[in-house]
Formats: sequence, structure tokens, C-alpha cells
Amino acid sequence: MTAETRSTVRLLLGWTPVDIAVADSNQTVLQYLRDQPQLKGSKEGCAEGDCGACTVVVGALKDGAIRYSAVNACILFLPAMDGKQILSVEQVADTELHPVQQALVELHGSQCGYCTPGIVNSLLCLNLNGGAADRQAIDDALIGNLCRCTGYGPIIEAAEKACSTELSAAWKTRIAAAQKQLLSWAADDQALALETRNGPYLAPKTPDQLAAALDAHPAATLVAGATDVGLWVTKLGRSLNPLISVAEVADLQSMRLTDSHLEIGAAVTYSEAHQALSEISESLGELVRRIGSRQVRNSGTIGGNIANGSPIGDMPPALIAMGASLVLRSRAGRREIPLQDFFIEYGKQDLRPGEFVGRVLVPRKLDTFRCYKVSKRFDQDITAVLGAFNIAIENGAVVSARIAYGGMAGVPARAVGCEAALTGKPWNMKTIETAKVALDADFKPMTDMRASAAYRTLAARNLLERFYLETQNPAVALELASRNHMKGLVDG
Amino acid sequence: MSNDQSTTNYRWVGKRTPRPDGVDKVTGRARYGDDMSVPGMLHCKILRSPHAHARIVSIDLSKAKALKGVKAVLTCAEIPDHPLSEPPYAPIINDMHDISRNVMAREKVLYDGHAVAAVAATSERIARAALKLIDVEYEVLPHVLDPLEAAQPGAPILNEDQFTFGDETEPKVPSNLFRSITGKRGDLEAGFAEADLIIEREFISEPVHQGYIEPLACIATTSEDGCVELWTTTQGHFVIRALCAKLLNMELAKIRVTASEIGGGFGGKNTIYGEPVAIRLSQMTGRPVRMVMTRTEVFRASGPTVGSRSKIKMGAKKDGTITAAEVDTWYQAGAFKGAPVGRAVETYFSSYKIANVRATCYDVCVNRPKVAAYRAPGAPMAAFAAEGAINELADRLGIDPIDFRLKNAVGEGDESLMGSKYGQIGLVEVLEKVKSHPHYAAPLGPNQGRGFALGYWMHGGGLSSVSAHLLDDGTVTVATGNPDIGGSRSSMRVMAAEELGIDIELIKPIVADTGSMGYSHLTAGSRTTFATGWAVVNAVREIIDKLRALAAKKWGISVDDVIWESGQAVPKKAGQDRIKPLSLKELAGMATKMGGAIAGHSEINAGGVGAAFSAQLVDVEVDPETGFVTPTRYTVVQDVGRAISPDYVEGQMQGGAVQGIGWALNEAYIYDAEGRLQNTGFLDYRMPVASDVPMIDTVLVEVPNPNHPYGVRGVGEPCLVPAPAAVANAVENAIGRTMSWLPLSPPKILQAIEELKLAAE
Repeated sequence: MTAETRSTVRLLLGWTPVDIAVADSNQTVLQYLRDQPQLKGSKEGCAEGDCGACTVVVGALKDGAIRYSAVNACILFLPAMDGKQILSVEQVADTELHPVQQALVELHGSQCGYCTPGIVNSLLCLNLNGGAADRQAIDDALIGNLCRCTGYGPIIEAAEKACSTELSAAWKTRIAAAQKQLLSWAADDQALALETRNGPYLAPKTPDQLAAALDAHPAATLVAGATDVGLWVTKLGRSLNPLISVAEVADLQSMRLTDSHLEIGAAVTYSEAHQALSEISESLGELVRRIGSRQVRNSGTIGGNIANGSPIGDMPPALIAMGASLVLRSRAGRREIPLQDFFIEYGKQDLRPGEFVGRVLVPRKLDTFRCYKVSKRFDQDITAVLGAFNIAIENGAVVSARIAYGGMAGVPARAVGCEAALTGKPWNMKTIETAKVALDADFKPMTDMRASAAYRTLAARNLLERFYLETQNPAVALELASRNHMKGLVDG
Repeated sequence: MSNDQSTTNYRWVGKRTPRPDGVDKVTGRARYGDDMSVPGMLHCKILRSPHAHARIVSIDLSKAKALKGVKAVLTCAEIPDHPLSEPPYAPIINDMHDISRNVMAREKVLYDGHAVAAVAATSERIARAALKLIDVEYEVLPHVLDPLEAAQPGAPILNEDQFTFGDETEPKVPSNLFRSITGKRGDLEAGFAEADLIIEREFISEPVHQGYIEPLACIATTSEDGCVELWTTTQGHFVIRALCAKLLNMELAKIRVTASEIGGGFGGKNTIYGEPVAIRLSQMTGRPVRMVMTRTEVFRASGPTVGSRSKIKMGAKKDGTITAAEVDTWYQAGAFKGAPVGRAVETYFSSYKIANVRATCYDVCVNRPKVAAYRAPGAPMAAFAAEGAINELADRLGIDPIDFRLKNAVGEGDESLMGSKYGQIGLVEVLEKVKSHPHYAAPLGPNQGRGFALGYWMHGGGLSSVSAHLLDDGTVTVATGNPDIGGSRSSMRVMAAEELGIDIELIKPIVADTGSMGYSHLTAGSRTTFATGWAVVNAVREIIDKLRALAAKKWGISVDDVIWESGQAVPKKAGQDRIKPLSLKELAGMATKMGGAIAGHSEINAGGVGAAFSAQLVDVEVDPETGFVTPTRYTVVQDVGRAISPDYVEGQMQGGAVQGIGWALNEAYIYDAEGRLQNTGFLDYRMPVASDVPMIDTVLVEVPNPNHPYGVRGVGEPCLVPAPAAVANAVENAIGRTMSWLPLSPPKILQAIEELKLAAE
């Protein structure tokens, strides 16, 4: 590390700068808020980033301006808040309630009220980011907040009423002051290097610093958005020591467009990449929209989704079908590999000691591409089966086929036999039937609590058929994506 | 001042009034179970069984006790044992023998997650570390999860001292079947002989959790004089006091329980889990002890509702008359007896006039957490079977499902199988409202189906206490002993304001602790607005009487000549125009100078409950490729008696329907082959999120309950009763075959669709 390091976390708690000597690098933002300043408004309902009762709004600099996002405080490590602003429910009202709070009171958007602070913050964030265009935007903002009492209707009505309210002058003034504070902190460019009773927490700012830190601490856990790693602590009771964050490495925070590719740094969140990925493929954009919740997408990164090697990560099958590749970096240099080769077997990736995922290279030009996620719940659920299809058809015949599935094996993988059964064949139902049989031989899925092997096999086949039908009839295209729009169609 | 409910000319009742608890909830000020901290507080963590069924051979606490920061460690040795309770058994059994063992396992562990030992330490981190130092030796035993299997001879026995109650053969061997309850009338054989169509079906439902977002949490503080203060999240702090005192052999007055704000309960916070453990650890250490469950602990160790298996047979004539019905239902009680079997029998066929009928429900122990109440305990699974069968009968006879029900509907004077007699009820009004609702005739698209089901629930009454105080400035506090879980503070305030004739903003509703009030039963059973509301009416009427007496004294006339009208005392007789009426505020100002502070209180045991019916229409769309179900439209029509606070009533109906959607489509406890719970978090126990559900349309039918001053019927529970059945019926309608096993998850539906395809080929 350079000499330019800092050993305390500084952040804006609400509108007030605080300097925190962190005792435990694994302490979560929620634990800090509730135990130290004793701000008990943010609740723990699950400690796994699912119920959203702990939702806080975090302000962070992006391109020189403060940007607000709703995140789950229960799985976020406190040091990740260095140089940022935390708005918990206690800081939302001043002399009077914020319009979102007012609307929730008036329209009975809370019953027991335990989920309410999180809902206030999710809706506040929607308001800070310019409001809600439609019901879909409101659903997106609320999917990460479980409410067991209201049935959601009154909360949605409150959101419709209040989320597009113009920000008050007082709010604008405070935000400007907060931005100024964060900018002044950012100017000194110090990397965070904490020594805690749980060992060090390092947040390097350059790829070289990161490589050096990994070299010095080969056993370190790398963390980006902590939407998975956070649960290792809160759910599995593990102590992560040392911890190295990739989230503050400026180079990894960026996206670049080349003629052929979209290059996504490993610290880019789903939310940040969503628009660019949607422009490559609407279907891919919809997949990203369905990953986790808004809170999870605001913290979690595409790089992290790949690097942790889960067989049910949502991005890898889609990116493999697209033909994406990875840039891996270390002190020794960098190498580029096709993404599909990164996943060796369950729990094992092609990642050498001292190496980290630097960038994901996503091709911009696709053939006919669709991806489909099957889960028990439509939004914010763990995938049972994910199928991604990228097929070139010329003169009614398949010229090339890249098909990848998640949830069907120990790693996300291509359906080699199925691809072979399609390639060179006419694009018709008969070919699909043959390819379905070939698909059965490609995978031996497991049975677990999310789905049985039989269901996974059947769903995988049906997704191929759905893809075929959608290419035949564009009117049914993106049927899954448009599911929520049906709600507007029923008459009163 | 009369109980004349024909008037609807109310100032506050039935109006949309501001929430008394709104601001505290949106600002994060409301204090829940874990939002309190006490100086010197220790943190309690509980060691839980990794086995579904095992004998505890030994427990070694020595290493845990030696850890720095650990102040106390306990096992069942620190929790008093109690003998098995004797018959007659109450409908809800609180057997201290069982509760003692559920709080802390004694001879055996009976389910994955069963508490085995507990630690109090100076931090949560140390307490967790100490748990890992406790050595428990187990002798693992075979386990059983299914109630029908568990009831068979030869099944692994959970409680070796349990012999089937009511079995006339006086069994010599223990059984997991604790008891069965049967309700019957008429001649089944003759009834089925009359039928033109007889159907037989089996239905299965999985246990589901209440899913309250606030985990169980409490803090116990003990004084050297033996007195205990307990702060806890509960639906009834008086019940918590009673159970803790009985279990720990303490005097009631020495335990004072304060109910925190409650983050949802739905029946799940009616009993004790960690409270006595925290009290004992506090007694052992002399320090306050905080116990907070993780979400995983809540799923593994607190009561979900029962899972069920039902075998049902029904017969009807071509004209739609139901001639006979019989059903056997096995309920999973969990590790200890006490499944809501009486409520199951009460639920069966209670909306229908059937001459020949029998319903039997079996209370069976299995290696799962002891069940707790969940919003109309015992009813939704029984309604799933009964309404499923009735929908099939109507369908196969070609009769409209509403007409079919109208033909068989019960009316005033009819009785349920458990002997509940109906007074004035709104069943026909509810059914007719459904029929005339635009939803009923709205067109359906491809892959869509419409479902219907009817639910019955008899809400609770019972003990409630209220203490109302008029303050010098004309404001009023209304204290009840009921935690506010669904808006009771609002309805108490509304009824008090209506009686007193003053602005509701002058009334402050309060949930008082057990030291301040007479006994008040749980906020459960849809009883609070009914029973505690009644006590509020009594208490403020006492205030009014005292104010009339005060005015009479002031005016020097008889109290009989003073009436209370629009918030003021008015002389009754004509010709007394020169006497200016005295407002409540004026009287309040003079009260302390003219005799003393003015208060009213009421301690009642409310009877006069009124049956409620909820009918639900739901449309779904089924994705034929994945089996995924999306509810697209939902209408709840319910007889609510009278809606004191309509916003809250609608909120109950909407929330109940959405819980029913989760129950029908997704939620279930999933166990592995060793009997370990697999989905112990919200990541894998999937409750509905905002995008899963349509806006729930509500229609309030108001047929007043003639027994109550404002005509109140319970509203919180009836709305869940028919919901799973209605959703299931919609799925059946969409895919074109019967579905009998909840939850209707995508794999089950996809398999059903495949079977239909194969059958067609």
C-alpha cells in the first residue's frame, strides 16, 4: 500500500460528518447504526439482504456528483461506507414529514410498521432519483421490501402519490452540502487501511494497490458489494480476515464501450451496468432487472457474480451464451480467457493465487438472443433454471448456436449436445424436438429445495421451445418481461 | 347510549380517520422488541438441536462456562418440570409439561431447532462463541414428519408418556395421536344414498409460517426482591405473564410484562419461547438479559401453522342440494399435542346446511416445531379441502359456484358442527355481492382461470380490560391491555370519541403493561375491536355518567335530568333554557375541584360473537412452459359487521388475501431426508413481494352483529380462510384439472400440465 492510507472510516451520518475507529472489520452497517449511535429505526428482519427492513439510502460520488441508492444495511460492511453518506429513517423527516412518510401515514401504507422504515427509505430513494415513471418503477423500488401486513396495495398508492414530488429547497440545500463534503474527502485520495480485532480491512484505490494487497494477504477474502459475502458472516457465522474490498478501485468502477465490446469493471454494480446491458439486449436487461432486489443490485457487482463461481449466478449463463470473456489481473500481469473456461467445476474457478477479476468483456453484436430465468417467485428469487440462447439463422437454417444454462450442473455451462443438434439444421419444431432430446444428455441436474431434477430438465426443454416460438412470433416476445404490465389491464 | 345499531349517522365510526400510530412508524420512533437496551444488559443465545429426533445422552457445559465474558449457562435443569395435564382438555391446550420441554428440551430433542441450552454473555459475539463450546452427546432416533404416517402403529414415538385420549380400548402403548375431535349430525349412509353425484378427494397442505417480519425478542430484568420486568414482542402480555409465572412457579404480581410495539404476529406471538429462558438467566446473573432470535431460529423453532392431510367425500343431488359430507383430517401438531383440531371441525361445512355430515380431525405429533396459531388457526386448510370438493361438485353438476352455495347456504338459527349457533349473519348478502360484482363476469384471457371460495370464521370474545382517564384539559387517555397489531388503537379511539362526542384527536389510545390493567386476553382471534372495544364503550360510558353527575351537582338538579349530547352535558327538561350546557372540557376543568379525577374502567368477559363470512374471487394466469402462476385480479367480499375504521378493515382484508396467495402458491417448510429444515430464511421461504400480487379489491358488506354496541364482527381472520382454496380453484380452472396439494409451485403445475398433455395424446 502507499503511505497515503487512513485508519478510520469517515462518513456522513445523515448530514453530520463522523469519524469511526472500526473495532471489527466484519461489523455491518446495521449493527453500527443500532449499537453505536443507537439509531434503532433500521430493523433486522433477516440479516441476509432479503426482507429490506434495514434499507438505508447511501449517497456516493459518481462522476463528481452525489448519487443516492437504497441498500441493505444488514449485509454491508461498515468500512464500505467510507467517504459516503448514510441516510437512515431517522434522518428523513426534519420539522415535518417527508412527502413519502406523509403519504404512507395518510394511505395506511403501514400496519405493524416494522418494515416501514425500510419502505420509507426505498421510496425516498426513488424520490431523490427523480420519481417514479410508472407502476413498474414502483414495483422495482419495492421488490426488496417484504411487508406481511398490508398486501402492498396501500404502499403502492403512497408511492404513486409521493414519489414524484419535487424536492424541497431544504433538501436541495442539504444535498448540496453533503456533496461538497464528499468531494472534499475524495480529493485527498487516501486508501482505507484498517487494523481491527478481526484483522485488516483494505480498500485499495488502484489495480496495482489491489494486486499488491492480494500478494501481501493471499488468504484474504475479496469483497465487492457483499451481497453474498455479507451472508457468510451474518448467516453462516464466519469471521472474514483479512478483507480486501475491490469496490474502491477506480479503474474497476468504470465501463468502456469499444466497437465490439462493452467492458465492465469488476466493481460495477448491476444497477450501474443495467442500462448499457439493456442496450445490447432487452432480454438481458430484463434479466438484470430481476436479479435480487433494487437494494441487491445497487450493491452487488457483475464481477462478483462471476468471481464467486455459484452454479446459480444469473449473469454467467447469459454472458457465456453471448460469448463474453474475462480479464484476470495480478501482480504478474493480465490474461484474457473466455468466460465459459473460468468455471472449472463446482466451487473451483480458473483463478490463480494473487489473481482477481478485472473486467468482463461483453460482445455488443449478438445473433438472435434471449435469456429466461425460472424461479419460484418472479422477482427477487434464486434461480432454479436459467437458459440463454444466442443463435444465428440464415435462410431458415441454424448457422451457429451458443446455448448456456444455469442451475443444471455444478457450474454454468454450455449445452454442447443441444447446440450440435441445432447447428446446420432447419429452424423448425422438428429440429427443436431433436435438440430437446440432446439437451437431456447435456445435463444431470440435482434435486434441491428450489426445484427437482425432473422439473429442471423439463423447464430447460420448455425454455428452448419458448425461445423457438418467440423467434417465430415476435408478438409473444418478452412475454415474461411484460408480466407486470398485465396488472394495468384489468378493469375496475 | 343504546345499542341501537340502525343508526349510521355516526361522527367517527365508519369514517376514515388519521392513524394514531402513523408518525411513529414512518420516522422509526416506534420501539419494537429489540429496540430497547438496558444498562448492564447481557446477551442470550440458544443452542439448538441439529437432529429431528434424538435422545440427549449428556451435555457438558464446562468449556462454555469457562469462556471469558460468559455469565451463565443453562439447560432444562434450570427450567421447572411439570406433570402432564389431565382431562378435560381445553380447546387450546397449554400443558406446562409440554411447554417446559419446548422451551428447553429435557429427555429428548424432538425437532431440528429444538432448544437444548442457553448462554448469557457480555456480548452477542461471545454468546455465540460459547454455544460452540457446549458438547451435547445425542443418540439419534428415527423421525417422522407426516401426520398420517405418525398416527400409524409402529411409527417412531415422540412423547412416550402420551396415550391417545378418548380411545375406549384404553391403549397400553404410547401414540403420536393425541386425540381426535368429531362433529356430526344426520345419517351419512342415507345422505349418500340420496346423492346423484358423489366425489372423493384427498387434499394436502404444507405448514407455513406466519412470516412476521420482526423476529421474537425480549429483555428480562430481575430485582433482588424477586420481581421480574419483561419487555417483549407479543400479542398478549397478560398471557405471557401467566405462562411464565406458571412455568417458573412464580407469583403473577411479581412479573410485570410490557408489550413492545409488535412487528407482526398473525398468531405466532401468542405463546412463550425465549421469555422464560431470559428470565432464568437474569435471575442467575442478577443482570438484564436480552434474547433475540435470528430469522433462522424463528423458522426452525417458533411455531408455524399445521400441515394437513384430508380425505373428503361429498354427495349432492342434480339440483345442487348437498345431501351428505364426511371428512377425516390429520393435522401436524408438531412436537407436542395441540393442533387446532376443534377449529378444523368448526370450519368444516359451516357455511352450508347439510343434513348428514361428519368431520373428524386428528391431532398428531410429528418431528417438527410445535405449531402455533396462524390467522384463523386450523381453518384455511380445512376450507381448502371443503371448498375444493364443493367447487368440484358444482362444476360437475354444471351449476354456477355461487348459485350452488346460495342453494345450500346456512341462515339465522343454523349451527356449526361444533355447536356455534348463528344469529343475524350476512352470508347471502356476501354471495349476492360477489355475483353482482363486475369481476365475476369479466372476460378471461388465454391460460387464465378464475377461482372462488367461501370462508367462515367465528371470532373470539373473552376477557378484556380498559381504563379510561379524563384529564384536566379535556383530553382523554384510553388504556387497554391489548397490543395493537392491526389497528386497535385507532378503533378504540374512534369508539371512545363516538361515545364521548369529542374530536378523536383529543383521545390518546395506550397499550398499558400488566401492572396497570386488569387481565386482557390476546390480541388474536379477531377479538380486540369486538371485545376490548366493547370494554372501551363501557369505560367511557362510566366517564359520561360521572360527568352528568358533575353537571347535575353544578346545576343543582337531579342526575336523571342531565343527558349527554354531542360532547356536552345538557339539561333534559324543557324550560331549563337558562342553564347553559357544559362541555366535556369545561367539566374536566372543574372535576378535580369538585370531588376528584374522573375515570372509567371496564373488565368484561365478552360473549355475543358473530359469525363472519368472506368470499373471494381470484384470477390467475398460468405460464404453460414453466408452470409459473401470476394472480392478476383479486376481490374480497366480506361481512364485517360494522367497519369501525374502514381503512384498517380493508387493510386486514388485503393483507389476509396476500398471505393466502403465498400459502397457495409458494410457501412451505421443506425438510431433507434427515428431518432438517432446509429453507430457514426469507431467501428460500418465499413470501409474496409487491410485484407478485395485484391490487386487492375489497367490498365491505355490513350486516351488524346484533350483540355488539357498534355491530362489530371480527375481520382479521375470515379473510385468510378461503384464500388458498380460491387461488387453487383459479389454477384448476386455468389448466383444466383438479389440484389438491399446496403449495401449487411451478414444478407441481408443470407436472400436471405434462400429465394432461400425455393423457390427451
